[in-house]
Parts: sequence; structure tokens; C-alpha cells
Amino acid sequence: MTISKLLVANRGEIAARVLRTARVKGIRTAVLRHSSEQEGPAHLIADEVVTIEGPTPVAAYLDIPQIVEVAQRIGADAVHPGYGFLSENAGFVAALEQAGVTFVGPTSEVIDLMGDKIRARAFVEERGFPVAPSAIEDDDPATFVERSRAVGYPLLIKPSAGGGGKGMRVVREDGALESEIETARREGERYFGDGRLFVERYIERPRHIEVQVMGDGQGNVVHFWERECSIQRRFQKIIEETPSPALTPEQRDEICETAAGIARAVNYRGAGTVEFIYAQDGAFYFLEMNTRLQVEHPVTEMVTGFDLVAEQLRIAAGEGLSATQIEIPQSGHSIELRICAEDATEDFRPAVGDILLLDEPRGEGVRVDSGILDGGKVTTDFDPMLSKLIVHGRDRAQAIARGRRAAQDYVILGVTTNLGYLDAILAHPKFRSGDVSTGFLADEADTLNQERDPAATTDILAAATVLSDARLVIALENVPEIYRLMGSWRN
Amino acid sequence: MRRILEVDGEEIPVWLASTRQGHVLHMGGREIPCALEDGAGKGAYILELSGTRIPMRIAVDESATFIHFDGRTYEIARTDPADTLDRTASSASRDQLVAPMPGVVVSVSVAPGDAVKEGAPMLLIESMKLETTVTAPRDGIVAEVPFATGESFGGKDVLLRLEPQEETD
Repeated sequence: MTISKLLVANRGEIAARVLRTARVKGIRTAVLRHSSEQEGPAHLIADEVVTIEGPTPVAAYLDIPQIVEVAQRIGADAVHPGYGFLSENAGFVAALEQAGVTFVGPTSEVIDLMGDKIRARAFVEERGFPVAPSAIEDDDPATFVERSRAVGYPLLIKPSAGGGGKGMRVVREDGALESEIETARREGERYFGDGRLFVERYIERPRHIEVQVMGDGQGNVVHFWERECSIQRRFQKIIEETPSPALTPEQRDEICETAAGIARAVNYRGAGTVEFIYAQDGAFYFLEMNTRLQVEHPVTEMVTGFDLVAEQLRIAAGEGLSATQIEIPQSGHSIELRICAEDATEDFRPAVGDILLLDEPRGEGVRVDSGILDGGKVTTDFDPMLSKLIVHGRDRAQAIARGRRAAQDYVILGVTTNLGYLDAILAHPKFRSGDVSTGFLADEADTLNQERDPAATTDILAAATVLSDARLVIALENVPEIYRLMGSWRN
Repeated sequence: MRRILEVDGEEIPVWLASTRQGHVLHMGGREIPCALEDGAGKGAYILELSGTRIPMRIAVDESATFIHFDGRTYEIARTDPADTLDRTASSASRDQLVAPMPGVVVSVSVAPGDAVKEGAPMLLIESMKLETTVTAPRDGIVAEVPFATGESFGGKDVLLRLEPQEETD
């Protein structure tokens, strides 16, 4: 089939990004807009904007019957889900299938399998791919201690019914294992009324490394190399890069081939990401597979030169992959910064406001995927991510330098953003040397939130504030001479 | 003309004066000559301060000023001490002006019986080392000026009373 009209069932920067590629491919486009939503960049790109209704804007974007109806009504032959919302919803895929509309993504069976974390882990382990060693007491309570010992040290004991870190105990040596199991059991009973336990290998200072894969659904799978996403706050990534500074070339091939192998095992169709937890000793374990395009996909595009959305659309149209593995390079270094409306000094509290002034950075190796327009409004209706700043350099040092320059040049006035915080991360010696883990932002919170040098800037800020205060300057001109003089004498 | 600025959680009282040479910022006992020129582009300015020229982008909303310069963005909250007075006056009654904080009367330019127009300066007071002109909240007749030049007042003291306004139908 060919795709002649594409509905993008998403919003913000990702909708704009998908629409751009569709336009280049000569596909007619449509995008959604909730009745209460402000105009965004996507609405300026799409040929057609379809208003959707719902009790909340988010509810409207999750309304499967309504969106399927829109696709049919406007004559879209394919739907691109973006990320989030319905992108990993097997019910949505099935509903589109019934309506005769192509879903740009994998089959509902694969979405179901990978969406169930326990089934996915078992599937991957059965096929010989690495998962973190673990032991579940319920499998065979009589042998739990022996099986725990086999997991290896350090290990983590968790109550099966637990959550939020309660009752978790790290064991570093065999001598303490049995007594710690008993303590964890008592704690589990006390906190959760359930003493059953679960043991897994404890990975200290782990990194988050993932691999972009793409399959044609006919057994052909290629990878587009890895991305390192260890810089996270509240378990959400805010800086991603590729290549990972942690991997040797051999490890890189191994982790990328493992990811491609997992995708091959499910006869994967479309774009997907296999996430791994990477230990400081170089071991890596399957975490989960995301069956969609990721927020951070642009860094992969910057180093490979491929347009991943174009590949998705090719595959959805049955045209297959455009390249074989050896034709996919990993050239230079790319970093993505997620620009969020939030206050990094106040525990990343989301910020709202009007965008009074917007000026995006430009220059060699700089790309901005933005979901906001000058004069727009930032509300709490959606995720606080406003845009993504992606840079590319010939090596990591140049990418960091370009990232800092571009973050510093990025002007967003009227709403608090994390631009200064992102710049501080790029400037951090440990980040620069690549010595990071998923705990980096928490461990380095004090150094990252250092205040500006007050003496150097207070004069500038105060002068600019009063001189740009039109009411004040006009009033000053109108003040009777006597008051003006009096003020001067008294100061 | 005064403002109380809040920079990084710190309150900074400032005062802007104009001289024949241009504007002078009074802050923390210092006098800083400064000027702001338009630059190229939306919200673009060049601040001239102590002989240096600093390009910046500025956006102003009702109570805050957003400034981007030297690669960083700052948010400065602004308060006009006179606004605080006006608000106090309007929330209670438009007939009396109440001091938001303790201070001293610097000068009095009206007397009971005087007719004043809205916005006319009536008193000059000093609070927190900041001078504020107390202006008439509406047209009216001055009824009472409880404090004379040089006298101290406390927070919430009535600084001036206007004759009650006649009810209009």
C-alpha cells in the first residue's frame, strides 16, 4: 500500500516532527487539537487540523473511538501515534485494524508482550538474552536461599508485595544472607502483611543504555546504535547522547547485536528501543522494550544521518528497510537536552506562564524540535517538556561545547525553564568525563544548583529591570521637579 | 521612583532618579549611572552600565521582569511600594490611605480642605529607606492629614483621609 494521508494522533514537538517528514515525503497530513488547546507548531505544518473533545485535553488524546472515527472521517489511510498517549496501546492498534487504517508501529501482539514487564522478561530470558539474575521465592520456597545465593553479590532483597523502597535490603556477603532474608521477611510482614520475598542482583551506580532497532516485520532487523540516557530526574531522562561514553567498541557491538536479536525474536515491525541496565563492570541486562519512537530519537538521527520517521513510514507502507546494517554509520557525537517548564531549584516543580519572548538557537550542528510558539501559554494540561535541543559535533567535547553554547543562546522568557540547569550539567566535570550513573543528578544536586554570583549580576539585573519598567520611567518624567530633587538629595 | 526588586529570594529596594546626564540607579547607598538602548530584534536591548555595554533580551509582565543575558535567564519580581498603598486603600475604602509598613513623613503637600485630582502627589513618605509618593486614589477633598513632616507612623496607620464620596445613583 501507499500512504496518501497521515493522521498524527499526538501533539507538541513530536507531532510537528512527524508532520515535517510526512510533508517532505509528499503525504497529505492531519493533526489533532483539543478544543481548549493553544495553537502550536504542529498546527502550522499540518494540511488539516481536527478538533477533538474530551473532559480534559489528555483524555481527548486517549479517546480511542473518537480518534479512530476522525481517521475514518478525514480519509486518513495511516495513523502515526508519536510517543506517549496511544503509542503503546494494543487496543488502539486493534481498533484501527478493524477500521482498515494502518497503524505506524508494531503489531498489537508485540505491544501486548512487551507491555507486560514480567512476560517480556521471561520471553527474553528464555531465548538466552541477558536479564539481571534473580530469584522469586514463590517459584519454590524450599530452595529460595540456595537460589538467592546463586544470584551473586551484591544482591537486593525486596518484599514481593513491596514498593517505594520499604523493606529492601542490600546484601554484600554470603555470611549475612540468611539473617537478612529473615529481617526482610519480618519487615515485609510488618509493612505489607506479606512476607514473601524476591531477590535480584544489586547493580551499583548503573547506567541506562538503550539501543534503537528497526524491523520490517518480515524477519529483517537492523540497529541504529545505542543511546546513553543516565541523566534522569524523577526517573525521567533529561539528557541523552550517543555514542555512550561508557562502551568499548566490542561492548557496543555486543549490546547492539543483543538488542537486534531480541527484536528479531519477536519479528519486530517498525521502530523500537531495547533498554538495558548497564553495570560499572560492563555487564548489561535487559530492562524493557519500548515499542514506539522515543523522545530521544533525534540523537540517533544526528549520528546515523537517517530520518527514523521516514523509515517508520516506509515500513508501514510495506516498502521495508532502506538500509542494511553495514550502511548505518555512527558518525560524530550527539546530545539532546529536554527543555522543560520547571524549577530545578524547587524539586523540578512544573512552571506555568505565558511565553513572552522566544528565540531559538541556531548554528552548525544545532537542531531544535519545539512544541511551543512565541506568545503561547504554558499550562499544566500536558507534560512540562517544551522542546528538545539537539546538537551534533565531531566528538563528544565539541558536542558538549555546542550544547552549552546553544543552551545559553536559547531565549525563553515568561516561564521558568531548566535551561540553566541543563547547561550546568554539561559544565559538570563528571559529566564531561562521562563518569555518570542514573544517580548522577541526585548525587550532584548541590553543585548543580549553585546560585549565580550575586555581586556580579545584581547591578545589571536591577538596572535593566527599572529601566525597562515603562510605568516607572514615564512616571519619573512626569514627577514635579521638586520631588525629583528631593529624592536626589535624600539619597 | 522606587521599586522593591526580588532577585534570587533577596529583596532589594531601589530608586531611579533622572539627572541632566541621564538615569541614575540608587541601590544599597550607591549611585549607578545607567541607560537602556533598543537593540535589534524583539525584546533586544543594550544596557549601558558603568561604561560597559551589555546586550540582553527583556520581557516584562505585570509583576516580574525576565532578563536573558550572558547565556542565562533571570526572573526578577517587582513591587511598586505605591501599589501596595493603593491596594490597601481600595480594599478597605477609597477614603483613606493606610501605611503598609512603619516609616517617616518626609513632606506633606496638601492640607485639609484641599481639592485633589486622582494621581496627585499628597505625601512623600519613607519606609525601609525607600521614598514613596502617596498619590490621591480618586478625585476628592482632603479631610485629614494625621502626620506632619518629620513624624513617624506605624504600619497600618492612616496617613491621609479624604472626605467621603457622595453616593451616586
